[in-house]
Amino acid sequence: MATITAGNWASPPTRPPLIETLVSGVDRYNPSNVGILEDYLYHQIRSQEYDCLANLAILKLYQFNPDLYNPDVVINILIKALTSAPFPDFSLCISLLDERPPSASGSGAGANPDEPDPLPQLLPVLSTLHALLQQCRFPRFWALYRSDEVEALRDNYTVECVGFEDAVRDVAVRAVKAAFTSISSERLGSYLDLSGDDLTAYVEKLGWSIDASTGVVSIPPNPDNQIESTVVQENIQLPQLVKVITHAAQTSLPVVPAVN
Amino acid sequence: MAQQRKALWEADLDEDLQDVDLSLAIGSYGQNGLYDDVQPRIDETTLLAVQQQVAQQQAFAQIPDVVKRFIAHFHQAVLDNNLVEITVAYESGWNRLTEKYYSKTEWPEAEVIAPLVNDDQIFLILYRELYYRHVYSRLNPDIDDRFHSYENSCELFNYLLNSDGPVPLELPEQWLWDIIDEFIYQFQSFCVWRSKVKSKTDEEIALLAEGSQVWSSYSVLNVLYSLIQKSKINEHLVALQQGKSPEEIAEIVGEYGTRPLYKLLGYFSIIGLLRVHSLLGDFTLALKVMENVELNQKSPFTRVTACHVTTYYYVGFCYIMLRRYTDAIRAFVSILNFILRMRQYHTRSYQYDQINKTADRMYALFAICNALSPTRVDDNISNIVKERYGEQFAKMSRGEEGIPAFEELFLYACPKFITANPPPYEDADLLPAYIEDPPVEPAQRHLQLFLAEVRAQAPVPTLRSFLKLYTSLDASKLANFLDADEEDMVQQLMVMKQASRSVSRVDEKGLLDGQWISTSDLDFVINENMVHIAESTVGRRYAGWFIRNTEHAQRVLDTLRNAPLPIPPKAAGAAKPAEAAASSTATARTGGKQVAWGSAKAA
Repeated sequence: MATITAGNWASPPTRPPLIETLVSGVDRYNPSNVGILEDYLYHQIRSQEYDCLANLAILKLYQFNPDLYNPDVVINILIKALTSAPFPDFSLCISLLDERPPSASGSGAGANPDEPDPLPQLLPVLSTLHALLQQCRFPRFWALYRSDEVEALRDNYTVECVGFEDAVRDVAVRAVKAAFTSISSERLGSYLDLSGDDLTAYVEKLGWSIDASTGVVSIPPNPDNQIESTVVQENIQLPQLVKVITHAAQTSLPVVPAVN
Repeated sequence: MAQQRKALWEADLDEDLQDVDLSLAIGSYGQNGLYDDVQPRIDETTLLAVQQQVAQQQAFAQIPDVVKRFIAHFHQAVLDNNLVEITVAYESGWNRLTEKYYSKTEWPEAEVIAPLVNDDQIFLILYRELYYRHVYSRLNPDIDDRFHSYENSCELFNYLLNSDGPVPLELPEQWLWDIIDEFIYQFQSFCVWRSKVKSKTDEEIALLAEGSQVWSSYSVLNVLYSLIQKSKINEHLVALQQGKSPEEIAEIVGEYGTRPLYKLLGYFSIIGLLRVHSLLGDFTLALKVMENVELNQKSPFTRVTACHVTTYYYVGFCYIMLRRYTDAIRAFVSILNFILRMRQYHTRSYQYDQINKTADRMYALFAICNALSPTRVDDNISNIVKERYGEQFAKMSRGEEGIPAFEELFLYACPKFITANPPPYEDADLLPAYIEDPPVEPAQRHLQLFLAEVRAQAPVPTLRSFLKLYTSLDASKLANFLDADEEDMVQQLMVMKQASRSVSRVDEKGLLDGQWISTSDLDFVINENMVHIAESTVGRRYAGWFIRNTEHAQRVLDTLRNAPLPIPPKAAGAAKPAEAAASSTATARTGGKQVAWGSAKAA
């Protein structure tokens, strides 16, 4: 999965021009464009790309046009948003799910009496998974994720989402990278749900080094794990004073007459 | 007897109405053979029309003369596109007469005052705009008011957008802002009212089932986007940023965008979109539509204070929902200082009250942000926050036990959220189920999402207070102090680290852009099992305070210098040049009669 950085969150470099037009223009409200955006979502699912704003545009269309509602799409959007923690994407998506009881009304083209809406079942599971990631409870996340409780989500959805588990590991890696300069491999393994050679390979792929004798993983310096005590002093720049000085120069009469 | 009365008033009847009613009544009843009924029936319909007419005339007769004169004068001012006089009538006359005659009742209906303004349809639309705004703010709008105010807004926007070319109308900036502001307020008010199914009468349910397009989200967005596109306001803002000359800009924005009316309506519509999207819970899109708006008061696009206040309130709130607390704080500090400085200029009470209320909510939001992201901030504002919300702030800074305080302040200060879709009024089967099991109110949904975030951060304040005492500390020892499992605590430390980082605008242009920055003065890092702590101290800042006060002193000095020497009291009225001028021209127009609403004493 492409790394999420603050800079490209609002417009990821992988976003095609057509989607950019939809996301930024009024065409985003046109219900007939929902198919294009949904196709783009499935493209993200297959190719480990992620575009939060485009996915929010789908949810916006569902919000305004309840008959477009497609639970599978919503679940896939939430799965993608899950792994952007600690960014708030998951909450932003939930915000747009209008409090329509999806099962009770049975509304939507996708509604089928034989196939009940899976979202009401899966939403609490997804929310719990999200809360665990949000709280950096990575070992518990993996325990829950591997449990029977989450089977339906795993078998029907996350299995289709290419690189989902690695995307979760990315969340953990981001957290570890910021907080640690070195970490025991057991601890790291519990966060990444990896052990032995898998863990070693993963650590090497990250460019981190593992001490074979102690099993301690060193994390290279980065802006977040370098700390320094500083005293910040106020630094007044000339531009801050321009107004005061200009005004003084324009209005003040010379106090002392110029001496020739 | 009825016959007689009919004859008496016939000359005054509206001809179309009379014809239609009579023929319809005769036609249907004649065929039914209920001949006996025909005569009374005719009378009844006619009577109805007559009664209406009489009622209107009576209503007209009851309008105080000063109000009649005011309306006639107001109409003339609009016809002349005389901004000064319109402003006086709009900001002073209307409010004064409201206080005097209509503080508890509606203004006369537009149909009643129509003869005063030669049945000028455009003026009547503007009049209704004020009429309904008064109903919403002072009285209790019923379903007819809600539907009709929507229709009137549609007529107004239809006139502005779909006339042959730009309309030759000019209105004061404040009124243009109020038009958009009120339009969205009424939309939001309608959505909230609509969602309360239980209290609806059968008649209301029937009307709501039929009129599902009234105040629909799409129709509201459509108006705002149309105004934005018509005025080419986004192109205008971009051109301004590129430093284009006024001539180039005029070229770009075309015949609509060059007119103040369209330009400002376009700009206010962008702010309107920010607000509508926030109300609907789409905080990302809300900030995205603001892409081209630069948030600074150095070169304000408009002088309408209420517009600035609204803009910053919603921008700040969206940032909170995007967990960008530093950006939210910056927005609030900037506008709250602005409001403090502007305070002395606000004498018009109806705006001042509203601004104060919003300001108070922003102080509450500021307290929330500062509890979640403790940073050294503007002393001015933090002192006021301590005064108003000191108790809640102290609780919020203590983690888990502060959750009720977060809840209280969030619910008090959040926008009045709405749902995009109505309850199923048109479906008699679903409606009872809806009443039985109503969905969670939108404010509660957003509150829960926000609290989830607060809960995730709940251990941070305690950890922080311990870490502050050390420069390095063994993780197991820290866990011991906290009476916590070491692994759990290490995970909480990672949460703390994340809470001390945030995306924030540094020098980016768009409101959604930003960089990953550190927001805390306390930082730490874990080396295997050893926690190392570093603290940054920020020296006290003086410059802002001194610069502000120097500027203030300069202004005072300027005023003193420019003040005229003491002169006889007679000319003292010149202190309010705009209003004085207005009243003198008004006097000239009405042939020397005193215009009550335009006097210099109006304020």
